[in-house]
Amino acid sequence: MNIAKAYQALLRLYPRDHRNLFSSEMLRIFERACEERSSRGRPPYVTFVLREFCGLALGAFAEWAGELSTDPSRRAHRLPGLHACAEAPSEITDAQRRIDFCISRMEQAIATHDFQGARFYSNEDLKARERLRQLRAKYGIAE
Amino acid sequence: MERHDAEESRPLSEPVLLILMSLADRPRHGYALIKDIEALSNGRVRLATGTLYGALRRLLEELWIERFEQDDTSREKQAYHLTGEGRRQLQLEVDRMRQLTRAASARLRTSEV
Repeated sequence: MNIAKAYQALLRLYPRDHRNLFSSEMLRIFERACEERSSRGRPPYVTFVLREFCGLALGAFAEWAGELSTDPSRRAHRLPGLHACAEAPSEITDAQRRIDFCISRMEQAIATHDFQGARFYSNEDLKARERLRQLRAKYGIAE
Repeated sequence: MERHDAEESRPLSEPVLLILMSLADRPRHGYALIKDIEALSNGRVRLATGTLYGALRRLLEELWIERFEQDDTSREKQAYHLTGEGRRQLQLEVDRMRQLTRAASARLRTSEV
């Protein structure tokens, strides 16, 4: 088994949504870094590979911990790649939750006189509403 | 409200701080981020891909960075840039660190007298 295949196998430890979004990017970077490190001699290369593999295992553990302890809509709301494999109704639920999240953050920002933050979440709220409108139009769901 | 204040004042982890610093001047893709962070930290920090992408995911969720497709011929297409909120959080962290170093310097001066 070559080193890239071993890396790919370890990527399977990650939750599916993380894999869908980042695994090809992570693999490309790993391969590029391998090319660079292998030219520096064997000990630095072996150290690099071991660090990468340990980092992957720890990263996968952290992602599963996050996956199991966080509201899935919050984890997914800003990661467009996740929507490609999602069912239509859950896309709409996510968009609705995103609006709720923005409103809640906007209210918090106003309460702490953080007007720059409030403006930011207000703009995000407008974008989320537009997204919800488009999704409803796409799936023919009345408002 | 209190929770929001606590979140705002919580120090950023080193990988997160370095990623925000790296994206402050221009967008970068993953490999460029790793190389730039290594340079920013004088070779002290070399993020593993697992650490980098865990931090990137959290930053995307917090809306501090955004992901986009780069129109160039490089091997990596997906790049990341700092949002207005990300820049604001970086500024908050820089202010916090400045205040701390000022206080530490003052204490050191006092102890020298």
